[in-house]
Amino acid sequence: MAVRALTLKGQGRDPGLVAAFVVMSAVLLGFVLYPTYRVISYPTLADYLAVPANPRWLAAMRNSLMMMVLSTTTASLVGFVYAYGMTREDLPGRRGFRLISLLPLFAPPFMVAFAYILMFGRQGLVTRALLGLDVNIFGWQGLWLVQTVAFFPYAALIMEHIFEAINPTLEHAARDLGAREWTLFRTVTLPLARPGIAAAMLLVAISVLADFGNAVVIAGSLPLLATEAWFRIEGLGDLNGAALSVSLLLLPTVALFIFERAWVSRRLYTGITGRGSRLARPATPWFFRWPLFGFCLIVAAFVLLVYVAVLAGAFARTWGYNWSFTLDHWRLGMTQGGAQLVNSVRVGAISALLTSIIALITAFLTSRRQWPSVERTLDFLAVLPGALPGVFIGIGFLLAFNAPPFALGGTPWILILALTFWHIPFGYQAAAAGLKQIDRAIEEAAQDLGASGLRVLKDVYLPLLRGPFLSSFVTSFIRAVTNLSIVVFLVTPRNLVATYSILAMIGGGFWGAAAALTTALLLVTFVAVGVARVAVARGIRGLPVA
Amino acid sequence: MADVRLVDVSKRFGLMTAVDRVSLHVPEGGFTTLLGPSGCGKTTTLRMIAGFYSPDEGDVLIGGVRVNDLPPYRRQTAMVFQEYALFPHMTVLENVSYGLRMRRVPTPEVRRRADDALKLVGLSGVDGKFPARLSGGQQQRVALARALVVEPEVLLLDEPLSNLDAKLRVRVRTEIRLLQQQLGKTAIYVTHDQEEALAISDRIAVMEGGRVQQIGTPLEIYHHPANRFVADFVGLANFVEGERAGPGRVRAGVITFAVPDGAGGVGPVTMVLRPEALRLHRAQPERTENVLRGRVRTASFLGTLARYWVDAEGLSWIVDVPSPGEALLGGEVFVEVPRERIHLLNEGGS
Repeated sequence: MAVRALTLKGQGRDPGLVAAFVVMSAVLLGFVLYPTYRVISYPTLADYLAVPANPRWLAAMRNSLMMMVLSTTTASLVGFVYAYGMTREDLPGRRGFRLISLLPLFAPPFMVAFAYILMFGRQGLVTRALLGLDVNIFGWQGLWLVQTVAFFPYAALIMEHIFEAINPTLEHAARDLGAREWTLFRTVTLPLARPGIAAAMLLVAISVLADFGNAVVIAGSLPLLATEAWFRIEGLGDLNGAALSVSLLLLPTVALFIFERAWVSRRLYTGITGRGSRLARPATPWFFRWPLFGFCLIVAAFVLLVYVAVLAGAFARTWGYNWSFTLDHWRLGMTQGGAQLVNSVRVGAISALLTSIIALITAFLTSRRQWPSVERTLDFLAVLPGALPGVFIGIGFLLAFNAPPFALGGTPWILILALTFWHIPFGYQAAAAGLKQIDRAIEEAAQDLGASGLRVLKDVYLPLLRGPFLSSFVTSFIRAVTNLSIVVFLVTPRNLVATYSILAMIGGGFWGAAAALTTALLLVTFVAVGVARVAVARGIRGLPVA
Repeated sequence: MADVRLVDVSKRFGLMTAVDRVSLHVPEGGFTTLLGPSGCGKTTTLRMIAGFYSPDEGDVLIGGVRVNDLPPYRRQTAMVFQEYALFPHMTVLENVSYGLRMRRVPTPEVRRRADDALKLVGLSGVDGKFPARLSGGQQQRVALARALVVEPEVLLLDEPLSNLDAKLRVRVRTEIRLLQQQLGKTAIYVTHDQEEALAISDRIAVMEGGRVQQIGTPLEIYHHPANRFVADFVGLANFVEGERAGPGRVRAGVITFAVPDGAGGVGPVTMVLRPEALRLHRAQPERTENVLRGRVRTASFLGTLARYWVDAEGLSWIVDVPSPGEALLGGEVFVEVPRERIHLLNEGGS
């Protein structure tokens, strides 16, 4: 004990660092843990105990789990095959396929659902105008299709990394030993990719469970945990029921999240390390290549349909009846939602900036190795929001900061803060990974020359982590401007944002205006990505461009 | 300027004792090297002097002041790191100026002193470049300039030459030594390279298993190693185990050696014989004291010397012969062990 006390005393002399620890702990406790606590503790124990007796709750839970199983299976399967195709170097158009698979990541979370109503709904361009069918897309089948298309890119992205990391030498070796194409896939590729498949499935499962945007647009009367909270508040003003439903939603998401962090991600790393020589991958035989190509083509077409539908919707006079060109929807969309769009950008930019700053400082603090228990707590609080569904955060901030003593309700700040803290894990993981790549000796050199703890952060880490900072900012910005699940609970007429208006327009049947405003929102996100790419391409001073 | 004193300093990491009751005194202006294999505790010791670790036990004194709990940024030490640890996002000038800015030196003076420091290490015209654009040797000089510019009381060097090629290593180490003497700085140098340690140090502390095995001048360390580890780690040695057999006599196997030690007594001893101290004769020399008959097993030509492995009296001997001519010896030879070059260790075999 004496030894330990001495050590702590020795390192505890940096008042700036101590202050930073105190402030960050307070901030994360206040904005992550406190809202979480508020939601969970809002319903009484009796409310929780009454859940099994309530058929509506049971139905919502059953449906949520069913959708999770269905959509996770299909999205992961599609993502797996698609990623396998993308990593075959001799697949025609693989770059194009890759680009297309990234598109849904920039889209507002309800966009696929909205687009598929336009394409495959009762007035659908494909179903009615082209095929003359009368299809009801609302319900679980529609949601299944939509979630598969919306979430397969997550699976494909992870799986692509895994496939890329499999050393082609292994494939050559297996072939050399006499393995045929299918045997090779079954005995080498698949076993090596298994941890990646598990990681992808868990990520997709969490996203499906928490999916609010698509569900609220296309699920129709199907009760789901994610949307139930919204219907409770919007229709009945039932805060208690809302808190109860998102708390029920929290159980499976947190379980999946813990499973992913504790088990899968650890295996994932061992699979990725050890990059050897880069031989070219062996050629894919034609009977493998062409079916793969056909599959990728169909999936890509489904993704592109989303964009085509929204773009067409923004310019067609009356969807389903009159296909003539018009700019009226833009006029309506901009007068109705222009100000909200500006507000979205402002809220998104401020929250993304805050997210990136807080995440960077937190990552810096948790790498100090000075107060292990405090650092572990901060680390936990910084990754926790990744396990929380957006609707949960939304209700959490509604309960915690809508009324005195913390009355932020109706201000942009309640939106900004909720989005900021929901996105912390993205920035935190980027910053932590960046920190790991910086030789500790560089920090020590600065200390040795007279820099105190916070000075090191400012002089060494801030400049060196500009890359992760930028990527954190862009990711958070895109997610913030396209967010619906949180803002839907926190907007009032005084702080409206674009996504909410679009939802209202879809609900009110103003499809054209909704499509126009969605297109505008997409433009904003693409501009943000473009600016970031230019910034990266121009290089960050003194550092090699990644 | 200040001296550095360690008093019974220990440092543990978990269950592992990295540094075990190390005591060391580096006088003001002295150049002391911590020498040892990797994991011997030399770097940990250096880092306790720099302030990156505080000792679990014992005291670290710089200039007579106990600095155990002083963080690195408040110590008057400057370190040159193994991988240089230059700030990759700063130019050479910014790197060198950094310590001065931390000390709130007025800007014009910063510029002047940084220029002086760069000139001192023989670098000019690279002020505006980034470290990644420099060669290894140049980066090394920047690191040195960055440490020297703050006029530290103690200069700490952690294997600063390990990333340079062999030729450059010799050149830079000479430069470092000259600079240190010229500036009169107290310097502590960490290396695992015994040749480097012998070449530049006033004193060497050989470490192993977290403990100091011997402290002494390079000559003392080389010629009078305190134990078998030191003798083995520093330079090449023949070890001959034997028994004392009266004053000035050691018996090893069937032969009795005349040794310089007159104390006599009894018990096991180990004779340490440097290869270059032995002489090799083609014909039987006139003197017969400590002469062994043997056969050359292998010979290898190393330019400035020839190294022979000779089997004699049931032992294998390594003998270095300086400036070998055009031909190497072979067949039967005689190994002469000059009595005054025998170093005795009062320990048996290991």
